[in-house]
Parts: sequence; C-alpha cells; structure tokens
Amino acid sequence: MALLELKGVSRHFGGVRAVDGLDLAVEAGQIFGLIGPNGSGKSTTVNLITGLFALTSGSIAFDGRDFGALPTHLRLGRGVARSFQNIRLFGQLTVWQNLWVAQNSPADHAKRGFLSRWLGGQGDVREEISQLLEFSGLAHKQDELAANLAFGEQRRLELARALATRPKLVLLDEPAAGMNNEEIGLLRDRILKMRAQGITVLLVEHVMELVMDVTDRIAVLNFGQKIAEGTPSEIQADAAVRKAYLGGETA
Amino acid sequence: MSEYAIGVFTNIGLISFIALSAYLLLIAGEMSFGQQGFFGVGAYVAGVATAMYGIPLPVAALLAMAAGAAAAFLVGLPTLRLRGLYFAMATLAAAEMLRIVFELIHFQREVEGEPVGPDGTQGFRGIRWVFEAGIEPQDFLAIVWASLALALAMFVIVERSRLGATLRMLGEDPELARSLGIQVERFKLGIAAAAGALAGLGGALYAHHNTYIEPRNFDIMLGVHSLAYALIGGLGTVFGPLLGVLIDIGLLEGSRVFQGYRMIVFGGLVAVLLVFRPRGLLDERFVHRLRHRMFRQT
Repeated sequence: MALLELKGVSRHFGGVRAVDGLDLAVEAGQIFGLIGPNGSGKSTTVNLITGLFALTSGSIAFDGRDFGALPTHLRLGRGVARSFQNIRLFGQLTVWQNLWVAQNSPADHAKRGFLSRWLGGQGDVREEISQLLEFSGLAHKQDELAANLAFGEQRRLELARALATRPKLVLLDEPAAGMNNEEIGLLRDRILKMRAQGITVLLVEHVMELVMDVTDRIAVLNFGQKIAEGTPSEIQADAAVRKAYLGGETA
Repeated sequence: MSEYAIGVFTNIGLISFIALSAYLLLIAGEMSFGQQGFFGVGAYVAGVATAMYGIPLPVAALLAMAAGAAAAFLVGLPTLRLRGLYFAMATLAAAEMLRIVFELIHFQREVEGEPVGPDGTQGFRGIRWVFEAGIEPQDFLAIVWASLALALAMFVIVERSRLGATLRMLGEDPELARSLGIQVERFKLGIAAAAGALAGLGGALYAHHNTYIEPRNFDIMLGVHSLAYALIGGLGTVFGPLLGVLIDIGLLEGSRVFQGYRMIVFGGLVAVLLVFRPRGLLDERFVHRLRHRMFRQT
C-alpha cells in the first residue's frame, strides 16, 4: 500500500479550482516528483497535505490512516514534514534553536512530563541536532540568528528542520529555487542521502535536471489536474506534458 | 533613601508588572491595549479581600492573580480569534468595559463602624492593610521588588526553555508554528492568562501602596504606557520592559528635570524609537550579540 494516497482531492478558492480531483499515490521509499507550470496547483497540493489549507473535497491517507481531517499541529507527529517555497524560518531564533523547536512532536511529548517538556534542558537532543547541522553544512553557524544567514544557508536550514522532526515523508516545495549549479548538486546529494535513510520524498520543483535526475516517478499537474504520470523517461516523452510546458499544438 | 526616592522606586516596581504583562503578549505576537483592565481587577479583588474581609495581603495577592488570570482568559476566548489591529481594539474595548464595571460597583460593608468597599466613581478608600500590619515604606518597597524579582526569574527560566522559544515562534509565524506541532490557540490563551495573572499581582500591590483606588486609575493611558515601556525598552529580553519603565518613571518623572514636559519627551521618544529601533533598545539582535560575546569570553 502507498505511504501517501490522495483520492479525488480538490481545493477551490471561490471559482478557481486550484486543485481539482487529484489522485496521487506515493510509495514508501520513493522520490516522487510533482511538476507543472506556474499556478498548476503544486504548492496548493503540498499545503493540503500538511493541513495549511482545508480540503474542499476528497481524502488523504497517510500510512494507512485518514489524514485529511487531522488538525495541522498533529500531522507533524504522524511523520510528515515540509520545506516552504518562500523560505520560512524563525529569524529571531538561532540556527540551533530552529532545529530544536522542530523536535516538538507529540511522540516526544508522550515520553516526558509537562515541566520537563517545556522547561527542561536541552541535553538529550544535542547529539541529534549536531548530526543535522553536520548534514546540512551549518555546524559553524549554529549560534547565528536564522535571519542573518545567506539565502542558500537558509534553504539548507529549512531542509534540516524538516529532518529534525524525524519524518517518514518530506515534502520539498521548490528547494532548488534560486540556487546555482553547485548548490543544486549538493541538494541532489542530500535528497539521495535522505532516501538512503529510508525517508520518502515528494519533490515539487521547476529545475528539470534535478527532477529527472533523482526521482523514481513523476506526476505532472496543469490547471489543478493531473495530466500525466510515469517514470522520468516516460514523462519526457509525453505529448501532453510537452504541450503544457511549451504551449502550442500537440507535437 | 529619601521618602521621595522610595516612592519612585516603588512605583517603578509596581508599573513593571503591567509592563511585563504587555511584554509577555508582545513577544507572542499580540499587542494588547487592555492589560490595565486586569491590573484593575487585581487591585479591586485584593482591596476587597484585605479591607473588607481581613484577609492577609499574601493570600489576597494570590486571589488577585487568579482573578486577573480568569478575567484575561475570558477576554482572550473571543478576542484571540482576532488579529493585529482588531485584537488591539477588542482588548481596549474589554478593558474599558471592566473600567465601567468598576464605576458601577457599589459594594460596601461595615468594618469597625465605617463603610468600606468600592463606591463606584467615588473610588475605593481605606485599603490600609500594609499600614495596619506596621509595614514601613522601605519594607513595602522590598516586598514589591522581591515579587518582581521572582517574576523576572521565572521569565529568565522560561526564555531559555522550549516554552520561551515557542513564544517567539508564535510571535514570528504562528502558521509555521502550527505546522511544527504547536496548538496555537491553546498556547495563546495560556499566555493571556499568565499575563493577566502578572497584571493582577501588580494591581494588588498597587492598591495597597496607594490605599485608595478609583476606576480612572485603570484607563487607557495605563495600557498605552505599558505597551510603550516594552517597545522602548526592547522585546529581546525581559529586562527590556524594565528598562522602559526606568526611563519613563525613573528618568522623566522621577528626576523632575522634564517636569511638565514629560509626556512630550516620552511621546517623542516612542516616535523616534519606532522609526529607528522598532523592537526597542534591547531588541533581539542586540541581545543575541551580547549573549554571543559573553559566551565567547567564558
């Protein structure tokens, strides 16, 4: 059974059908690409999965359980984390603190009492956070305020934060936007490392080299609907996809 | 210490409670213009307890904190659904409602042959517990500052903890905080109640310092000042609002240098700071740099 399954998922904003009857199945261990022209509903789909937007209709199942009706703050605890298209960090907290507060899932809380949960020390998480800082190449910046980081560093911190929640599934919303080739290469390595650690990845991206390179399977959206799905080579050969991207007559 | 200096320092301590109350909500991203209402609730509840029923001040102060927290919780239930300016207006309206309630309350009781208790717009006189217990002004000053030190110590503990980081998360991006597992509404209600308790405690001590309170004491100017203290002093550390109070009451009012012009200087200071240092003198960046430097040296 698929780790993440969307059935007939729709989200309408007034008369605009941002996502319209979308079916999607992401298998555990996959790197699944979600592509499409601007405004095709990719980010809306990510927001529906993480609960930032409510479903207009349809259902979402994660790990075999209903997910679409779950309050946003509980979704993280089930194992779904994300990065944002427009970077969202807590700029007034340090790099270290940004990772620390991400380890806030109910699973952690169940093990601790109220006082130790909210007022207790930081000792038991230090090791894990150091590893994440190593992984994202931010160890030397750990005491810097997140607002003071360079753009590429902020993107890396977002990715590290998603991992800090110990996710089963990570949704990456255009993680390569604004990156140069070298940075994209490093991002590629990190995504592959994530899969090696058993994390499933849903990658929303415009940088086609990256998508075609790392994904196992790709779905293409246009005007909120899925117009194609298949392996990277199948997608590259697909006529409807070419038309959506290039416009004009069907090749 | 001269009597005058004792008075000034006592005032600084008393007003710091409501400044801290406003600060607690500010770092969680909410600008309340209504903390003076809970300050007033604390003052009235504690006054009634000691003057009318002979309850000792420490117990009365706890009652005042509970009443302040409960009032803030009830006000928070509907108002915390609002954002930004709408929240500010709703809290202001709530505090004005409380003030009008103080004006309408005529609740008196004969104590030693004299009627004692809140008498509407005539105010509430004879809150003499401190005097009757033989506590000298300098002792009361010590009581106020010891209570304040306790509150500050709690803030320092919280600000180093996950709870403190969570407050700042709510202040910066509540939606992101929610997606990181925080129950935003519950948290904000809890914060509002804690801020209400702080204001209530301040009010209780204020009533017993002045021995006389009236509804006018708890008008909008007190709320505006408490916000301004936190915004002048800075939102980076709990000592920010304290600095704000020191600058206003200690320097502008206490020193008498700016006599008559105090409000003009104070208003100007607020305006200049909002432009050049919108998060106050001790803002997050400054506090972070300071911490970093101290950390490196040790």
